[in-house]
Amino acid sequence: MRTTIAACARLLLVVMTVTTTSARSEADPPEVLLPLATSPLVTFRIQFRVGAIDDPAGKRGLTHLTASMLAEAGTARRPYEEVVERLFPMAADIGAQVDMEVTTIVGEVHVDNLDAYYALLMEALLEPGFHEEDFARLRANQVNYLRKTLRGSDDEQFGKEVLGAALYAGHPYGSPVRGLAGDVESITLADVRAHYQRHFTRGNVTIGLAGGYPASLLERLRADLARLGAGAPARVELPQPRPIGQVGVVAVEKACNSTAISIGFPISVTRADADFYPLMIANSCLGEHRTFNGRLMIRMRQVRGLNYGDYSYIENFIQEGGSTFPLTNIPRRQQFFSIWIRPVAHEHRHFALRLALFELEKLAREGLDEADFEATREFLVNYSRLWAQSQSRRLGYLMDSAFYGTDDFLETLPERLTTVTLEQVNAAIRRHLGYQNLRIAVITQDADGFLSALADNVPSPITYETGAMPADVLAEDALVAAYRLNVNRADSQVLEADDTFE
Amino acid sequence: MKLVVGLVAAAGVLAMVRAAAARDVFPFPVFSRVLANGLTVVVVPYDSPGIVTYYSIVRAGSRDEVEPGHSGFAHFFEHMMFRGTERYSTEAYNDLFKALGSDANAYTSDDLTVYHALLGTEGLERVVDAESDRFMNLAYAEADFKQEAKAVLGEYNKNYSNPIRKLFERLREIAYDRHTYKHTTMGFYDDILDMPNQYDYSLSFFERFYTPSNTVILVVGDVDAEAAHALVERYYGRWNRAPYSHTVPEEPAQTAQRSAHIDWDNPTLPYLAVAFKAPAFSTATRDCAALDVLARLVFDETGELYQRLVIREQKVEYLRTYAPDRRDPGLFTVYARIKDEAHVAEVQGAIFAAVDRAAREETPAERLAAVKSHLRYSLAGSLDTARGVAGHLSHFLSLTGDAQTINEAYRRYDEVTAGDVKRVAGTYLTPERSTVVTLTGVHGE
Repeated sequence: MRTTIAACARLLLVVMTVTTTSARSEADPPEVLLPLATSPLVTFRIQFRVGAIDDPAGKRGLTHLTASMLAEAGTARRPYEEVVERLFPMAADIGAQVDMEVTTIVGEVHVDNLDAYYALLMEALLEPGFHEEDFARLRANQVNYLRKTLRGSDDEQFGKEVLGAALYAGHPYGSPVRGLAGDVESITLADVRAHYQRHFTRGNVTIGLAGGYPASLLERLRADLARLGAGAPARVELPQPRPIGQVGVVAVEKACNSTAISIGFPISVTRADADFYPLMIANSCLGEHRTFNGRLMIRMRQVRGLNYGDYSYIENFIQEGGSTFPLTNIPRRQQFFSIWIRPVAHEHRHFALRLALFELEKLAREGLDEADFEATREFLVNYSRLWAQSQSRRLGYLMDSAFYGTDDFLETLPERLTTVTLEQVNAAIRRHLGYQNLRIAVITQDADGFLSALADNVPSPITYETGAMPADVLAEDALVAAYRLNVNRADSQVLEADDTFE
Repeated sequence: MKLVVGLVAAAGVLAMVRAAAARDVFPFPVFSRVLANGLTVVVVPYDSPGIVTYYSIVRAGSRDEVEPGHSGFAHFFEHMMFRGTERYSTEAYNDLFKALGSDANAYTSDDLTVYHALLGTEGLERVVDAESDRFMNLAYAEADFKQEAKAVLGEYNKNYSNPIRKLFERLREIAYDRHTYKHTTMGFYDDILDMPNQYDYSLSFFERFYTPSNTVILVVGDVDAEAAHALVERYYGRWNRAPYSHTVPEEPAQTAQRSAHIDWDNPTLPYLAVAFKAPAFSTATRDCAALDVLARLVFDETGELYQRLVIREQKVEYLRTYAPDRRDPGLFTVYARIKDEAHVAEVQGAIFAAVDRAAREETPAERLAAVKSHLRYSLAGSLDTARGVAGHLSHFLSLTGDAQTINEAYRRYDEVTAGDVKRVAGTYLTPERSTVVTLTGVHGE
């Protein structure tokens, strides 16, 4: 595979020239290249086909810790203090991004500093130090993330992780990427070395390179990555996620001043499937991330002021930093639908959850009408142009396209969306978006009481202290307040925060 | 034409980091004008083919919330700006941005409120129309106002499961006696709860602060500078609202260390924040630049303190500084997440010892050069998108109203000497100017 994309240069700020690199040989790793001759930056995305699914039982979190030992630790030639001292004047770093299926070592540097940076990057990848003191530091950080940060400091992310674990119990996607706290504590440096040698190999790597790099860099990279270990481990087979009968609830008890809610179910669609594109339109209409377009956002926040935001997704979604856009290089062979309800006051948690499902049912039953369809499609065609505003993101999307085996996702998306019909959207909704069989994760206080209220379908009327509400909203409120969920008690549980991901 | 601009732009970034100290660090041409009504308009043609970003920068933030009971109002008002006009109802406004496929949002901080949109250039005029309309003619119903107040409370709630938020909230509260930096941009909790009752005040807030002379329009992207200026003037030229003058209370000099502790009722590693009263942002002297340099020298990952506490002894998970440029004297804050409560006092002592050493010992020339290189390459690496460029410019425009401030600020970095670093450490980072806040969790770790 070699993907050199010329057409995409028009989306970027610089003008592309034709690549003049020599031909790769069969023994070389796959390459995704985006040469941009006038760019002052060079972006590396060196991706290994290893992720949390490759963590052995009892060692969940091993891939994350191994990747951290490459990116945030010393090399065989120098301690970590010296690595950071060398990177610092360049304002560059070496980052490791781990998800379920791939691990991507990401870096970007100004061309002035390319040689010095490249040398450090290759040391990190090819000659990791695996020093005991780095290992102790990074393992402690990973355990502290699971036991302290997640349980004690970030209810929204906590809710998403609890949902992920519920959707994929018994499945290779079933633990957080950072693993389980007890497992991480049991990981040894020998485990990390063995995992590196087995998975971070030349048969398991893809080169991603973008920007103003010289042709000779690619040749050096090919030659250097040939020094990685041999072999390509077998890909972990993914079973179907366990089926969901009715509504399964995981309610996590902790001290908090509002309730975080995530809802979801696995779907059998990825970017590789034709149905993904009509489903993108349906999902955008329901809950486009961080916009006021979605029905969830409009009905829950804008009309009723229930919380700060409400969104939905048809694939694993992580927001890139402070932007609105999706992080790249977190592709998965299996995906899930989800709704993210940002924290709501405890007294409105039941109503908010019901309202989200009320909207989901409406979408599932009625589909989109012509006006919603046209407006949402137009939005996505225009909006997706903005996802490629840096060469690093553009490269990330190209690599994800390679993962899914599709044409350049961003380049072809406008045409794909333009040819989708309303009938295809509504058929895709019928095929993939149900509303009766799903899982719900909540982080809340009095979790027992909430689970009972959900299971018993206790009415949850809402009152507004803030003045007159339109009659149609009040009429809808009455329906929502009595909206029935078929909670499967046998498939629901209450957890103490301290017992999660242990 | 685009090709030429593109090459110039890229070459400009290259030149920037190689520039002599006297050269401008910002590599793109900047076209600024002030309209007759006082509105500043800044246009930066940038080679992002077919894409433009449009910023409306209001030079008002939580700093301007001078009346008791109204903390958090600048941020709340940012929300209200999405609640419609006669011409553009909330729905019509949302529909427009949806049709354009724009990524549009807003944020508020101590000194500024920014509304920003990234979109295809073909939609620019419609955005200028809609944005100018809401800045001139905002009109919302009281019921909408009350609904939005609840969304703000929701935002507060979502933020405050994070102990860092609580740490910084408490830090400001005790570090300041009179100045409005005493509260965070979200505002005091009691004031947020009372927001639904402040409809009349919200109308006056709009009249006071959303004026042409208090606003900067910034356009960065695939535009012709002259055409962009003409477009903005056409839509905003008739905006007339009188400037408002108010006095932000001056903070008296701090003469003794202050401290507080927070018990967090969930598991967390302990946190420590040590804040010093810093000077107001200015490029007239090298003080602010020297403090920024010092922050990196002493507390970044190459500093001796970080290397000892985080990498070697591993008593601290991370050590960071937060010392943002502010119009009035702000805080230079060092904060750490510590692995064991038993080490909190030791880490606190080490932070004070590190600044004391910085005030006494000369920084080696190569360390100073490394920090200056870091600052320049950081900037170069973040100017790779129209939004990146606009983000930097809007920061400096909010501080001074002048886009050239970015060049001035980086000139001061170039001029910082080892003596400057010693001097500012001894002047500003002293125990009597400090405030210390600690936070520990239920398990006491």
